[in-house]
Amino acid sequence: MKKFSRYAPYIILLIMFIGHTVLYAQPQRFPRPEFEGGYTFPTHQFLYQRGPLWEYMDVAVLVIALLATAWMVIKKRSRQGLVWISVFSLAYFGFYRQGCICAIGSVQNLSLALFNETYAIPVSALLFFSIPLIAALLFGRVFCAGVCPLGAIQELTGFRQLRIPRQVEAVLSAIPFVYLGLAVLFAATESQFIICRYDPFVGFFRIDAPYTMVIFGSLLLIVGIFVNRPYCRYLCPYGVLQNIFSRFSVKHMTITPAECRNCRLCESGCPYDAILQSDPDAETERPARSWKESAIYLSVIPVIAIGLAVLLYNISPSLAVVNDNVKLAREIRLEKNEGIKAVSKNAVAFYESGKTEDELFAEEQKITGRFRKGAPWVGLFLGLSLGIGLFRLTARSVRKDYEPDRGRCYSCAKCMKFCPVKINN
Amino acid sequence: MKFSEKEIRIFNGISLVAGIFTVVIAITMVLSLVQLKTIDPLANPAIQIVKEQFDRDVNNKDLAEQVRAMDLMARKAYFSSRWQVETGSYLLLAGALVFVVLQRLVAGSEKPAKSFRPDKPDIDADRVKNRRFLLISAGAVTLLAVISSFVLRSELPSPGSSEAKSDSAGKKVATSGINMPDEVNYPFFRGEGSSGISAGEGFPVEWDGQEGRNIKWKIANPKPGQSSPVIWGDKLFITGAGDGEIAVYCIDKNTGELLWKGSGKDFPEASSEEPESDAEAGMAVPTPALNEDYVFAMFGNGNLVCYDHDGKFQWGKHLGVPQSSYGYSASLVIYEKLLLVQYDSQDKLSLSGFDLKSGEMKWETPRPGRPVNSSPVLASFNGVPQLIVNGNPGVSAYDPVNGKELWTLPGVSGDVAASAAVNSSLVYVVADYFKLVALKPGKTGSAAWEDNSFTADVSSPVANDNFLFMTTGNGDAVCYNAQTGDTLWTTYFDNPFYASPVICDNKLWMLDRSGIMYIAEAEGKLKIISKSPVGEHTDASPAFSEGKIYIRGKQNLYCISSK
Amino acid sequence: MDENKNNRESRRDFVKAAGRILLAAPVLALPVILAKRTDVKGFVWQIDPFKCTSCELCKSSCVMTPSAVKCMNAFPMCGYCDFCPGYLRQGAKTFNTAAENQLCPVGAIKRKFVEEPYFEYTIDEKLCDGCSKCVKGCYDFGNGSLYLQIMHNLCVNCNQCAIARVCPSDAISRVPAEDPYIRKEIKKL
Repeated sequence: MKKFSRYAPYIILLIMFIGHTVLYAQPQRFPRPEFEGGYTFPTHQFLYQRGPLWEYMDVAVLVIALLATAWMVIKKRSRQGLVWISVFSLAYFGFYRQGCICAIGSVQNLSLALFNETYAIPVSALLFFSIPLIAALLFGRVFCAGVCPLGAIQELTGFRQLRIPRQVEAVLSAIPFVYLGLAVLFAATESQFIICRYDPFVGFFRIDAPYTMVIFGSLLLIVGIFVNRPYCRYLCPYGVLQNIFSRFSVKHMTITPAECRNCRLCESGCPYDAILQSDPDAETERPARSWKESAIYLSVIPVIAIGLAVLLYNISPSLAVVNDNVKLAREIRLEKNEGIKAVSKNAVAFYESGKTEDELFAEEQKITGRFRKGAPWVGLFLGLSLGIGLFRLTARSVRKDYEPDRGRCYSCAKCMKFCPVKINN
Repeated sequence: MKFSEKEIRIFNGISLVAGIFTVVIAITMVLSLVQLKTIDPLANPAIQIVKEQFDRDVNNKDLAEQVRAMDLMARKAYFSSRWQVETGSYLLLAGALVFVVLQRLVAGSEKPAKSFRPDKPDIDADRVKNRRFLLISAGAVTLLAVISSFVLRSELPSPGSSEAKSDSAGKKVATSGINMPDEVNYPFFRGEGSSGISAGEGFPVEWDGQEGRNIKWKIANPKPGQSSPVIWGDKLFITGAGDGEIAVYCIDKNTGELLWKGSGKDFPEASSEEPESDAEAGMAVPTPALNEDYVFAMFGNGNLVCYDHDGKFQWGKHLGVPQSSYGYSASLVIYEKLLLVQYDSQDKLSLSGFDLKSGEMKWETPRPGRPVNSSPVLASFNGVPQLIVNGNPGVSAYDPVNGKELWTLPGVSGDVAASAAVNSSLVYVVADYFKLVALKPGKTGSAAWEDNSFTADVSSPVANDNFLFMTTGNGDAVCYNAQTGDTLWTTYFDNPFYASPVICDNKLWMLDRSGIMYIAEAEGKLKIISKSPVGEHTDASPAFSEGKIYIRGKQNLYCISSK
Repeated sequence: MDENKNNRESRRDFVKAAGRILLAAPVLALPVILAKRTDVKGFVWQIDPFKCTSCELCKSSCVMTPSAVKCMNAFPMCGYCDFCPGYLRQGAKTFNTAAENQLCPVGAIKRKFVEEPYFEYTIDEKLCDGCSKCVKGCYDFGNGSLYLQIMHNLCVNCNQCAIARVCPSDAISRVPAEDPYIRKEIKKL
């Protein structure tokens, strides 16, 4: 009898295993024990995330850091002070807050919240999106200069300066626009958060990451030693917004503290090639372009914008593949058409979930439709950016001072030491 | 801070060492990370083998020890790589910090290289170049947009374009979007899509069965039955039962010649029982269903048979003898690769899908409620194909692919005999002495409107997006505004209606029980075009194909054509 | 000439001011637009144990190493079995704590005798790597009291959870930060 009791569990198990293949619901297979000895369930401590109060602390730190940076570059004109702020930001937003709460990623939260009724955006994410932009409108890209941990880590590791040929620079700096457009589109359609997914440095901040991320981040840092701030210049989608906002800034860092002497010493002082050269002879030597000529070039801008809108509208169904459901739907349709049984993990899980193919296909239609709706606007934005950017280059520039290009200048203050004009304060 | 050259050299040396250190740590960390993420310490094949040996020889102490030792080793290795990652990351950080700080000191003490750019860039030439760029990129973008319009648009239909196309086709009335009306084929009860809407034009409106006017041919029904004729290509099919025979008959639709007959009970599991039913009904009430290869017929005793179009027996099934007060009556429909059977009996209500080729039951979904005499109807709402069953007391929609219930809404009860009418947005169900109700389909659906001044008995209503037409057991014909439920016209004929009205060629065809077809404009204003008799009792619904109308009378089958 | 220059400068200033307003307006309006769609308390990621299919992706996909996903035991559901299919590997012939019988690759499940014939199973979260082998065992052969949860003291609350992205059963979703755990014993189906 004892022997039987020993094997009983297996017999029960066997029966249950057979039963399990039939039953899909989870039964209470073994009754709840009735303890005689006054046993009590062990308590588990459920640990929570940092409280929301801390997030307002982050916002406060952000504001203070922005103001400090602005003061450092505009009033104090101190590169050294900026470096210290960078170190602090890197330590706080980077290593302490582990790169998550981040203005760059908040673009996606905002887009998701704007276009999806169901998603509630955390207030802190909203503030992290808007405060640096307001700061840019007031003081230029001070966020990039010393507050952004991604900027700071690159700023602190950019020891050498390698100049990139202008044409290459121009082409590469178009990437962030596309990146921004796609990130907004993908977030709005609830498909992907690509900015977070391809964040290069968050792995360092957490001292733990998928190794692909570590490798990508290391490569960027190594490149950044020579070609300073590669992420900011050629990838950062939030930088695009900073760029646009900064162009209209109320105050902005200047190269020279007083009057520019046109000595050309600062010409090679900017690692980002963001110094606009003066052209004092322009006015006298070259007449202003006629209105008619300007109008022709101006009219090209909408052509580019509409062209890109149409182009994106047309490729939007292909873009929709980044959405998991769309991908799954296409996979399943393909398998159905080929007459193969779905084998991928997602397909199997889908069939187990009890959702019908038609529900999935309807979902696919819905998401593709949203891509259809959103993509032309992204195209329009890209087209306008490209068009206006090129148009500006065709216009005559009348400049009598060397001054930073407010859009592309990171307010890093490196150029200041090249200026021979000093004032004692 | 400025440092001497010697100091800078030392800094450089130290930072170089720190840099190499960092890189080495980073590489080992990446490897440990990969290991930690992907490797299961106990999935080591060596351990597995020893474990299997141990399982075969449970009492072997040595083996047990061996397993334990290996287990310990594997876990030790795992936890030490965990430790490596934890401590390694701090070492990495420290190394990187030293490197960065020293490099900064070195960089900071270098004097700014006061090099001029070799020459002042020719801003003017750049500007000219940029103008060209602007124009080129505009051209390129336009070109790409145009090319993409041609290349990509064609392969990817935009959502809803299929409906849009059918709308523009004009002569087809927008229906469910599933099984569009067909000019030649009339494959189910109430035609393609079982919707009561047929395509085609040029049908005669005047005939007389007694005089033979516009009667192309007339044959005696092989056996009596209440089922309606269905048509595929040049072949017309009817079912009949009587004198111990139940069968499906294939008739040449152009000549009336009987091509072949297929028995409904000559297969091993067939039932020859004749369950009790209403005297009028009999065994051959359900209308067969057709596709391009096969004909499927269901009989009142639960026999389901499949023949190909040449009369070759394919398969037969007995679904159980349905017990029903009026007799079994649900007609068959086909969706894609499945034959859909609504089974109504006192002891069981279900909906099942059968493989067309093999007759294998792919799924069976039990249905709640009481037995009904309605037939299932195919519909599509928001692009979701669904099979609508007018049940008692709820209207349900099922996924025609897997039989999953999509939604159920309160419908009608009592003697539920009429099938649902559908258009692109609503489902209409009716039961005599109860009410007519229009339902917004879906899980969160509800009644859009209802009316109980007129209720159909056997005849099923028919709807397009504008109008709902209904003929009743009292002889009334009614037209409603399909969306709002306003009564647009009513009229009274002398005889009751059993056959279901059909919308075809912009006309409404209403066949009453005395054999008179009333033909009216399918519009919101009553305009009777004509009334034409076949001269005998008629209950089955008419079929329309290529300018010809087929009417099954109690005795004869008529082909009506003006050509 | 000077007049010309002044004209140009005032024009430039005007454009700048206009642009500034144009850009500031939407940014300042954002809180208003999103007034109804902001959330003060925030959301965190959590696994719905009723959807989880213990596919083992939680272990390898989390950005944290070891994963922030850990196993928990819902004691009120637990059968306190001597033969615990979450503790003992399939095929184990003896029911004891010997290494050759354990299912957990990292030895994170602790077995403690309570009274005849019951044993208590607790999870050492420090050791657990969220592989879900025990969860599968308990689900397939036991009461399903072992289940996975994202531990919020470890989770860094990524904007898009890396596990959610790959989860085949869509079991991971955002839950309110005030109630961040889906406890299987409480939220039974």
